[in-house]
Amino acid sequence: MSLIERRVAPADSKLAILTSMSLAVVAALLVTSLLFAFYGANPLQAYIALFHEPFATLRGFGYTLVRTAPLTLIALGTIVSWRSGFGYLGFEGCFVLGAAASTWLGLFTGLSPWVFFPLVLLLSFTAGAFWAGVVALIRARFGGNEVLISLMTNYVAILIVQYLVSGPMRAPGGVPETSLLPRATWLPFVLPGTRAHAGILLAIFATVVVWVMLRKTALGYELIVSGLSPSAARYGGINVGHRLVFAAFCAGGLGALAGTVEVLGEQHRLMDGISGGVGFTGIIVALLARLNPMAVIPAAVLYGGMTVGANAMQRRAGIPSSITFILQSLIVLMVLASEIFRHYRVKLT
Amino acid sequence: MNFHRLLSSAFLVTWLAASLRLSGPVLLAALGETFTERSGVLNVGIEGTILLGALASFLTAYVTGMVWISLLAAMLTGIVFNLLLAWMYVTVRASQVVVGLVFNVLALGIAATVYRRALGESAGPQNVAMFAPMHIRWLSDLPLIGPALFGQTILLYLTLGLVLLAQFILFRTSFGLALRSAGENPGAADAAGVSVARMRYIGVLIGGATAGMAGAYLVLAQIGLFRESIVAGQGFIALGIVIFGRWNPLKAALAALVFGACDALQLSLQLGGASIPPQLLAALPYLVTILAISGLFGKAIQPAALMLPYSKD
Repeated sequence: MSLIERRVAPADSKLAILTSMSLAVVAALLVTSLLFAFYGANPLQAYIALFHEPFATLRGFGYTLVRTAPLTLIALGTIVSWRSGFGYLGFEGCFVLGAAASTWLGLFTGLSPWVFFPLVLLLSFTAGAFWAGVVALIRARFGGNEVLISLMTNYVAILIVQYLVSGPMRAPGGVPETSLLPRATWLPFVLPGTRAHAGILLAIFATVVVWVMLRKTALGYELIVSGLSPSAARYGGINVGHRLVFAAFCAGGLGALAGTVEVLGEQHRLMDGISGGVGFTGIIVALLARLNPMAVIPAAVLYGGMTVGANAMQRRAGIPSSITFILQSLIVLMVLASEIFRHYRVKLT
Repeated sequence: MNFHRLLSSAFLVTWLAASLRLSGPVLLAALGETFTERSGVLNVGIEGTILLGALASFLTAYVTGMVWISLLAAMLTGIVFNLLLAWMYVTVRASQVVVGLVFNVLALGIAATVYRRALGESAGPQNVAMFAPMHIRWLSDLPLIGPALFGQTILLYLTLGLVLLAQFILFRTSFGLALRSAGENPGAADAAGVSVARMRYIGVLIGGATAGMAGAYLVLAQIGLFRESIVAGQGFIALGIVIFGRWNPLKAALAALVFGACDALQLSLQLGGASIPPQLLAALPYLVTILAISGLFGKAIQPAALMLPYSKD
């Protein structure tokens, strides 16, 4: 007699899902603690170091919010496009293009803040929407594979920005980067004594907008139906191609806004490598939130905080911050893998 | 720069030679991925597997100095990590794009962490032993095509041999038929006694072996050192080549050559001092790949069960 038997249907009670997800997270933490041990660090102390700075100190929490804002915006873009059946993966590119457009407007126009802030959001959103919209158009018009094409567009966008910071927008000096943005174009800081800026408010606002759009409007309903079953949507009179392009506009626009927030709130200048993989971490955050807009901010705070904690850990204990990539991706992989265990039950009799 | 220089025979020789050399890694990766996709699995994690293969070959070459052992190490690394991927794709039946994408982040984390651990934080880039270009008597002295066709590294000839082998296995053996049936109509394959899960595991593992080799190719025959950005989207380009090559090894070889020619062209234009900014030239291979898979050149008919997990019940 075997101890484990297969269920006819997977256990799908809230408790079963919660248990399997928690076990998955614990498994990811255990694997990563082996890595800490590999570096000669006490895993428990390493985890305390990883989570103390971002969540238990005011200054660190400010940095956590700084990291949360772009992650949230990108995760929301992922949710809108993926739920509409558009597997967009080009957020890294939208991010750098949004950052570049914002820097350009801030450096070279000298607008008053009342004009600048609305205009910069509009310009950046449009740039990203256009960039992602082209991919949607190719998919809707010629049937090209949007997953691969959007991955390719990341490299093109990054090279364009590399060109801008080493050529037309370059500041005098040894490093390929632009000059510092004027103070008037910086996003206001929102938490005294920290670097947290108004980007987090924009992220919260966007979360509400995306949630309302997907859950409460006819448009959102049509998007989700197009994603679940394009043929059923078409039969119901929905123009799936149009919805696809609209979803891509939202995704690209949100990705570009993430770049705006990073440049105007934190970096205050444009440089090569400004994205640092945030376009992919944002997608992972959306997956962790199970493509639910309301779960995005907690997931983004957790992953943003981990990035902050990892930098602190690297400074103090010499453990490379790249370990967070391992931890962040392992958590999602383990959660995905844990699904299989809900298909089995333990038989004790 | 003027067009006379562009068309000079010296330019053509270097360009042709570089085209072949640069198409090697993407072709290797695309060959294995053709098996993977023919069995019904799209492996977006190929980029990560190439990176880990590159790291494994670099570290082995750094320690032993032996190129063949390093190539083998990269292959084994690719197989081991793709076993993990195959489990997620086939047994867990998770979304293939999601798993592949997250795996790429995991691979980047592993590569960065292990590289720093192995070489220390402060060490600069380290060079390792590489495959030397061959010099075949008489043949490589032929004008124009000699150096291009007969002055390459042995890895390229190995890759070209694998193209023929892949074409034969896929279309002329019963194993190839079983593998393709798992990707076209898994239900029928199952009814005919083919284990769909086993075929897909094998498909993903073949993809892992060649992706690992592609990583080794980058280190041992092109660059001679390791950096985190060494792959730079070539895994994704390989996925594009599989589509443009219509899931056929011979056509994939031609598609890879087109990619190699673009990459070589942008490199020689840069070296030739063209007035176009180098970053924009560097975007050329990606743009060509986008164009190739955009559907403008006719619709690509993929294996019918690609990306669809299969369950017996």
